[in-house]
Amino acid sequence: MSTPENGLDKREPGLDKLDQRGAPDQPGVPDQPAAEDLEWRRVHPITPLVRGWAVVGAAIVILGQQSLDGGPRGGLIALVTSEYWWTLFAALAAIALVGWGYSVLAWRMTTFAIGEETVHLRRGILFRQQRHARLDRLQSVDIRQPLVARFFGLCELTLETAGGTDSGVAIGFLKGSDADELRAELLARAAGLKVARKSPVADARSRTTPGTVTAPAGTGVVGAPVPGTQDAGTQDAVEQAGPGLPGAPEPTAPASLEAPQVPVLTVPLGRLIASVVRSGATITLLVWALGVLVVMIATGELAVISASLPAVLGAGGYLFGRLTGEFDFRVAISPDGVRLRHGMLETRSQTIPPGRVQAVRLVQSVLWRGRDWWRVQVNVAGYGGESEEKNSVLLPVGTRDEALTVLSLVLPDLGVDEPRRILDAGLDGDSRAESAYVTAPRRTRILDPVAWRRNGFTVTGRALLLRRGRMVKILDVVPHERTQSLGLSQGPWQRRLGVASFQVHSTEGPVHPEVPHLGADDAARLMADQALRARTARASAGPERWMERQDE
Amino acid sequence: MTSPFEPHDVTWNRVSPRLVTAMLVPAAISLGIPAVVGVVLATTVSSWFWLLAGFPALFLVWSILLVPRQVRAIGYAERDDDLLIRKGVMFKSMVVVPYGRMQYVDVEAGPLDRKLGLAKVQLHTASVGTDAQIPGLPPDEAARLRDRLASRGEARLAGL
Repeated sequence: MSTPENGLDKREPGLDKLDQRGAPDQPGVPDQPAAEDLEWRRVHPITPLVRGWAVVGAAIVILGQQSLDGGPRGGLIALVTSEYWWTLFAALAAIALVGWGYSVLAWRMTTFAIGEETVHLRRGILFRQQRHARLDRLQSVDIRQPLVARFFGLCELTLETAGGTDSGVAIGFLKGSDADELRAELLARAAGLKVARKSPVADARSRTTPGTVTAPAGTGVVGAPVPGTQDAGTQDAVEQAGPGLPGAPEPTAPASLEAPQVPVLTVPLGRLIASVVRSGATITLLVWALGVLVVMIATGELAVISASLPAVLGAGGYLFGRLTGEFDFRVAISPDGVRLRHGMLETRSQTIPPGRVQAVRLVQSVLWRGRDWWRVQVNVAGYGGESEEKNSVLLPVGTRDEALTVLSLVLPDLGVDEPRRILDAGLDGDSRAESAYVTAPRRTRILDPVAWRRNGFTVTGRALLLRRGRMVKILDVVPHERTQSLGLSQGPWQRRLGVASFQVHSTEGPVHPEVPHLGADDAARLMADQALRARTARASAGPERWMERQDE
Repeated sequence: MTSPFEPHDVTWNRVSPRLVTAMLVPAAISLGIPAVVGVVLATTVSSWFWLLAGFPALFLVWSILLVPRQVRAIGYAERDDDLLIRKGVMFKSMVVVPYGRMQYVDVEAGPLDRKLGLAKVQLHTASVGTDAQIPGLPPDEAARLRDRLASRGEARLAGL
């Protein structure tokens, strides 16, 4: 395992043995009665076909670019119409053959196994890689279905651990139903439920019954994660979604480990389009187009268009990505956490278990103010890096009520009596209105003339709320137990005015919680108190395995 | 008004003054060489090259004046549950790292550092935003701090 927390990891002796057991070349030989026999499985045999397409696609794109960018005009077209047209197709075929051949080899070398507490993945042709991810460190489980894979009904399952970029375990491709089963199993194991079976995923449906899913000894009677049989005390999430739950305690899918999910909201297509139209990128695009038009009329040069093409394509690509990525966005809640499902060309189904959200941001740009729309983003360890834009959105656009509903799904309890008042004040209140927020002093208006009234923070029993921004309004919510470290900074002007900026360091992601220009005394007190609050909150934080009781 | 960078219950440890040398030598090399080249060219080719010599020289003088103050401003303090690190003269900053949040600790020493008997301790949490490094520690102090931080981190282990 390559996760950096390894150094400080509390390793049980049994676990180390387990890790070594994954290493021998003949896995699954039960040499010790207590040891786990791992069932090594391959991913779906069509995988190489799907992966190989990427190579062919890349070759076509490169060819296309080459013929557009360099060489004589219409070089490719000239080639296709000439008598040597077949060379092009022969080259493409060769590339495809190499791509698919490589993919077949890669497929043969890729195996995975689900252990009692770990997921094992072995892959690589020349450089073999073995990865063991501990399930109690699991941060999220996503099922991704790219366009090509969809034709075959295949999915890729990605399990994120907190090791930073590329620390996840990607198992793909799997048949859709297998991926669902696998996800359910992983989540059940990560939740601390013991899954009593050792059969391949494909057999899960026939072999597994709710009776085989049992809680660890000593935690009392807990059945499969289905409504009605669960301990309500440990299931805030289910309580949250209470009204929408099916009333009947009888499990609807008795043979599945799948936790029941309750739909919470969907984002209508009309609103998504409207929200993208009202975004900064669209405005930039329009202004740019207008500018180009003006220049073109003024100079009478058509070349201006082709010169500005890359910028237009860039902005257009971003908008297109937003639209297709957030298309048909659905939010649901289950005992295993928040479920998100979205995407047009590539669909993603994300599961973020309870307590994995490190920080939440509610943000509203000035163009959304008229409709009172908000966007909700989260930091989840492991979601950072290049896929951040696709993964870290909890709600692409929603009304204030919807945004706050989504917030309550990930942070069910803010630890105040009237959360709505505090949140409303955080969303668009400022220092002119009486509120629980400690705000930046009036003297900072010279440093931040537009938004100085907004800069402020408040502390609830469970979380720290930081608000700022007036054109782009931002409210960041950080649960006390998720604080990594705290920072304070002060420049020369700030020192003269006796103010300082405060930052909460969170895991990689879109949310960077901070408040600028707090009064020095407020900042110092916040720094000291927050360190203490974070410590006490961590001591009483829920278990990593969210189905296990606190008082074990 | 009290400064937020002086919590009342904290006694700051300072880093070794040899860090001044360790920071000035690279600056002298990277700024001194262009300055000398500029002077040579200015005297031989054209007096315009005084500009080329002047800017690096100015920066060098500025660093010679500033670096000792910067080094004096670096402080760290081990409290019961967290580590405090502060730095900066013009732009001050302070960071609080709870021991339980530490993922790993790095100790680094370059060739010049080793010559001067210095090492740098860097703490990593799950956040990339945590800028918690203490440069200019004597090697035994660095080793002591590393072991102490590691053991405290273990004692206060928590997930993310």
